[in-house]
Amino acid sequence: MIWSFARNTLLCLLGAALLSGCATRSLFQPYPDQARGWKSGLGAGAAPTSLLDKGADSADGVLYLQELGRVTQLDGDIDGSRAAFDRVFEHYRETDEAARLRATGLVTGAGALMVNDNALPYVAPDYERIYAHAYQALNYWQGDDVTGTAVELRAAAEEQRVAAARHEREIARAEQEADRQGIDPDRLDGYFAGLDVAAGTVKASFQNAWTFYLSALFWEAHGEYNDALVDYKKALEIHPGADWIKEDVTRVSRALDGRYPRGQGMVAVLYEQGYVPPRREISLPIPTPHGIFAVAFPTYDVADKPAPRSLTVRAEGGEQASTGVLTDVGGLAARHLREQVPAMLVRQALRATGKYNLQKKANDDFGPVGAFLTQLFNLVSERADLRTWLSLPAYGQAARLMLPPGEHRLQLSTPGGGASLTVPVVERGLTVIHVVALPDGLLTRVLPVQEGSL
Amino acid sequence: MVRVLSLAALAMALLLTGCASKVDYGDAQARETVTTDFGSTDLQMIAAKMVDDMMVFPPIVDMTRDRRPVLFVDRVKNKTSEHIDTESITDTIQTKLINSGKFRFVDMSVVNRVREQLEYQQDSGMVDQATAAQMGRQIGAEFMLYGNLSSIVKRDDSTKDVYYKFTLKLLNIQSGIIEWSGEKEIRKTRKRSLFGL
Repeated sequence: MIWSFARNTLLCLLGAALLSGCATRSLFQPYPDQARGWKSGLGAGAAPTSLLDKGADSADGVLYLQELGRVTQLDGDIDGSRAAFDRVFEHYRETDEAARLRATGLVTGAGALMVNDNALPYVAPDYERIYAHAYQALNYWQGDDVTGTAVELRAAAEEQRVAAARHEREIARAEQEADRQGIDPDRLDGYFAGLDVAAGTVKASFQNAWTFYLSALFWEAHGEYNDALVDYKKALEIHPGADWIKEDVTRVSRALDGRYPRGQGMVAVLYEQGYVPPRREISLPIPTPHGIFAVAFPTYDVADKPAPRSLTVRAEGGEQASTGVLTDVGGLAARHLREQVPAMLVRQALRATGKYNLQKKANDDFGPVGAFLTQLFNLVSERADLRTWLSLPAYGQAARLMLPPGEHRLQLSTPGGGASLTVPVVERGLTVIHVVALPDGLLTRVLPVQEGSL
Repeated sequence: MVRVLSLAALAMALLLTGCASKVDYGDAQARETVTTDFGSTDLQMIAAKMVDDMMVFPPIVDMTRDRRPVLFVDRVKNKTSEHIDTESITDTIQTKLINSGKFRFVDMSVVNRVREQLEYQQDSGMVDQATAAQMGRQIGAEFMLYGNLSSIVKRDDSTKDVYYKFTLKLLNIQSGIIEWSGEKEIRKTRKRSLFGL
């Protein structure tokens, strides 16, 4: 009798694991471990994309496709990257347009309730959606498709606008729900202190000054001073102390009055430093009606976060500039997780209760063997949701120089190495150098010069 | 027993064929409302409105009474947050205008290929010069068609609202006067359903 129960339980659990295993690949192998597969060797020009291609068709497809878009872009495969991001946007659209209560959602939701949050299909947070559009804009830019670039930059701005509106409503709702379930997130604040430190000065989980700056540069180069002014001002709003952005605002304000400096062009360095830190798992005591349960919970560790290092660009004429941090992606990710805490706590409390009941029933009806098996399952399945887009940079930085028209030899230096390159400068035009510093090398590419009207 | 089995087989067959995908022809002019993105119906609505507006505008009616003015299409700027092929819109408008018999067009997008052909006819020695097209005999366009397509998108959890505005202008190249201007507004709203698969 006991054995037949044990067999049935095992079969059930195996079935649950398998079913949810089809849905997502991160159920039993933590995502950051998988990500190591494609992050290593990326700077050296060998992107292992086979892992990502496989993941692209899973329930977490959007996550793997985001990684694929970024990895292929860094690898120089612009067409591959563009195709991957196109599929990413298709996923975003499906998420946005899906019915609010879905039958399939209930099934995976039930799976997640029995197993862990990794069984829920991945939904890209706002900051990742904004980055996806910004990178797609860079793809079009690289292909010298001005209209395509403009479209993607507008789409990135649209995401930021929508995120700002949605944001406050959602957090308020999640806190209400936590309250209803009798969970007080404030009581657990000690456990999230690290998360708050990691979030640092980031106020909102979606405000991305780097993409605002990128689009401001683009609009300015095409004489769309009104749009440029709006985006420079938004970047300045996020970094009120940045003097160089103040200069940009002044310059473009004058341009609106028809006074634009003559005899020079702009060289901008868009610098992306390192990789965004991955989430870590901690054990968190959660109160339930049956006592306190220790559950696995994701968090960020400040120790994983690299310090921002700036890049210095020098022209042969002596002009030089150092990049300033515009976007702290680790901060955005930590802030996003912090905002998710109330909703996650509710799910964890329900899950802990469910697992407790299963174990109790097994123990009551079938003694220690049943209890042992369910306990084993509960232990193995207790994993935090560590999925986030991990090939994003740790910091998005930028700097710009005004130089006379002509060819210029520029020296780029970072603490991790440097590069020297020759770039064209066009009067009133914009030359962008996209620099990505990875642990195993510095990737640089010069994007086609932007000038003239759109 | 046999009956149960055959019934089951029948039900299975029905289910399986029900799941098979199917290809069919549809009406190209049918209203398309799959998503709020710019689609075929928007294109058709815009082209029809522009051409209708232009053909009934009194100064244009006067102008085309005795002659067929020559136009060229510059381009329609895509100022939306979607990748839209605006050339396809202007192509439809151009086709409708040509078919009205009131206008003629020169095509700036094939200038290089036309030049190559002219050079071949003139210089290759392969073409009978009596029939060769002569350089410098093309007719200059009198008017230019150009415009903008812009959009405003508002979105929240349950609703997406897209507003498109298409503006087309007809400019007299010599005088610089805008002889005609047309506008078409389109609003599309999508509400998320509460229940679904």
